[in-house]
Amino acid sequence: MDKSSSQRLPPLKRNWWLKHRFFKLYMLREATVLPLLFFTLCLLAGMVALLQGAESWQGWIAFMGFPTVLVLNLLALAASLFHAATFFVLFPRVMPLRIAGHSLPDKAIVAGQWAGVVAVALLFFWLFGRA
Amino acid sequence: MEKLAMNKPSMGKNSTQHKQAFDEPLWWGLFSAGGVCFAVLLPAVILFIAVLLPLGLLPAEALSYERVSSLLFSVPGFLFVGAVVCLPLFHAAHRLRHGMFDISVGNDALNKKLMYGSAALLSTVALGLVVAGMLG
Repeated sequence: MDKSSSQRLPPLKRNWWLKHRFFKLYMLREATVLPLLFFTLCLLAGMVALLQGAESWQGWIAFMGFPTVLVLNLLALAASLFHAATFFVLFPRVMPLRIAGHSLPDKAIVAGQWAGVVAVALLFFWLFGRA
Repeated sequence: MEKLAMNKPSMGKNSTQHKQAFDEPLWWGLFSAGGVCFAVLLPAVILFIAVLLPLGLLPAEALSYERVSSLLFSVPGFLFVGAVVCLPLFHAAHRLRHGMFDISVGNDALNKKLMYGSAALLSTVALGLVVAGMLG
């Protein structure tokens, strides 16, 4: 089966996705994990620093303040929000919710997930935002 | 269409053999779980830990060495690392593997081992650091 299909379809060139806006957005979404990976590695370094003691922890905070690191992490923040925007619209398509026989509108499901993002941010503010 | 094709055995000597991709549901499951964590948890985590903290916009004691140690090196801290580091790592591994396939980089059988292997390794390190902190 795959033999005949690969005979029928010529292999794609590497730049196939540059030819249409939809595919460019798809690739951008795939690329959101690159700044995420950077942030994750920063976080792992922070955990190592925390194990080493108070001085290392302060050093790690200073490292996180370097302009390059800060810009890459701001990029990670933007990437997480872009990923969220693309990911949340998938939920009602993959798992449509029905309550008492009425299907929940897609917009309500998407809004509910954004409410989750806000709730987590508020939790963080409650934990770390006050003196 | 493309994604379906990538898990099929390559044409040639085994073209008639249909190998069941028994592990794929696991990778897609981890991808979804990691995607939810990336979308719901990571914006706040990145904002507070990687932006507000280094800019000095949080109260001085909020993320002091003592407070972070006691928060992180605990059972909730272990779960936090699982949701904020481990699951998003598998999400990233999956996206990278499929992205590399899309732009014909490397070969998928090897990429798969490299990506999921790295995610598993880094996850183990992250959880191990929390356990080390709890014991230490």
